Amino acid sequence: MSDRWTDRLSEYLDDELGAADVAALEAHLPSCADCQATLEQLRRVVARAEALDDRPPTTDLWPAIARHVGVVSLDARRARRRLSFTVPQLAAAAVALTLLSAGSAWLLLRRPAGAPPSQSTTTPSPILTNVGTYEANPRYAAAVADLERVLAQGRSRLDTATVRVIEKNLGIIDRAIRDAQSALAADPANSYLNLHLAQEMRRKLELLRQAAALAGART
Amino acid sequence: MLTTLATLAGLALAQQTDTTVPVRAGARLEVNNFGGEIAVKTWSKTAVRVTASHSSRDRIIVDASEQVVRVKSESRRGPSQVVDYEITVPAAMALALSGVYTDITVDGSQGEITAETVQGTVKVSGGVGNVSLKSVQGDVTLEKARGRIDLSSVNETIKASEISGDISAETVNGDISLVQVESSNAEATTVNGDVLYDGTIKDGGRYRFSTHDGDLRVSVPEKSNVSVSVSTFDGDFSACFPVQLVGLKTKHRFTLTIGSGSARLELESFNGDIRLCRPGQLAKDKDWRAKSKDWDKNKDHDQDHDQDQEEE
Repeated sequence: MSDRWTDRLSEYLDDELGAADVAALEAHLPSCADCQATLEQLRRVVARAEALDDRPPTTDLWPAIARHVGVVSLDARRARRRLSFTVPQLAAAAVALTLLSAGSAWLLLRRPAGAPPSQSTTTPSPILTNVGTYEANPRYAAAVADLERVLAQGRSRLDTATVRVIEKNLGIIDRAIRDAQSALAADPANSYLNLHLAQEMRRKLELLRQAAALAGART
Repeated sequence: MLTTLATLAGLALAQQTDTTVPVRAGARLEVNNFGGEIAVKTWSKTAVRVTASHSSRDRIIVDASEQVVRVKSESRRGPSQVVDYEITVPAAMALALSGVYTDITVDGSQGEITAETVQGTVKVSGGVGNVSLKSVQGDVTLEKARGRIDLSSVNETIKASEISGDISAETVNGDISLVQVESSNAEATTVNGDVLYDGTIKDGGRYRFSTHDGDLRVSVPEKSNVSVSVSTFDGDFSACFPVQLVGLKTKHRFTLTIGSGSARLELESFNGDIRLCRPGQLAKDKDWRAKSKDWDKNKDHDQDHDQDQEEE
């Protein structure tokens, strides 16, 4: 599916191509369905990334994320959105945002009464990997393992029917994650599959977090 | 679902409490009920009436301040188990209702509503402003609400009708149905279920509907201006009206523009089919209804449908 322009579409969206390249690319686009479709997918990724700003996490995690991705400030990012990553990297960033948010929420949940809120759960490490391999990322795996451990500890406090339902639905999500990973193995640059995988991974964290909270309550 | 509890409740609910307290405008109602029912209806009086059926060992506490009316139960021997509340409130009163083995119903509210339960249904008619309804193991149903609407289940369906505003609906193992919707910002996502959206597509609006194992049916009104992106892995696309595909990458990923394309509609189904129709057509869509019937019967998706573009 790649041609010489495929890898330069993000530069095009960022207005970083020279005038000659812009003219050449725009002449090429009408005859290249692949490039048109990829460009549209990139625009969707950017639009979805923009939408993430509408629901900021309780703790401001952006400064740490900004350090990771090398962006000076959120205002600067809003002023001029840069698209300097590949589609899988952007999808991975979406998962990272969710992971950081979920991790922060969980830390806040565990925080002893009277203790100050944690400022950030981030530690410097490369987060922009292909989302297809992200489940193997130590921080994602650790967050899942943490929540699973809490759930296991609180399992006896949950109604058996609730436990069955949670396990069944985690299984459904895991199956969707495996499906997406298998599909991505054959088509790693597919932005839909990357975003779909990111969404299902986020959903798994959310359900685990919800289940862990239930296990801590009287059920 | 609550058969055992209901049986026990029938034996145990031996006492009635009936209390009415005056409330100021702007006060909020908070009810937490471990098991049983919370049924809220409205009246024109500036007062809250709480009637409860409960065990003689339980005591109902109605704690009213200027800002909040809190309703809960206490037992002389450990926590209360099953209480059925029927509560009448001013229509504009904000409601925060929660429980575990609890069915929640609200009728006629014109205020903000938060309702959360684990094993129980949530059924609401009304609601203005923030309306957040959640259940883990029960259906979530909403009608006649407007505002910022957030609907969530895990293992059951979500149904909403005659609603307007910003809408978010999410479940894992269940269908989502949003009909008679007026929204410029709507999102519905499930893993194992179908999604139906029958509502407005407003200029500049954003709409996103996705499922992993299920079908999407979405209405696009005539004269809409919308850019539609379609993504599937192993499903097919069809429309009840002629559409012009552009940027056709594969038969599974493409975009189409209707009118000026100012709204954005994202449709994603990994394993299922995607169908566009006109408002009101989806319920009458014979081909799809037959397919849905097969799907319900077999729980096995037919993935051999070719892309068809039928005349309206």
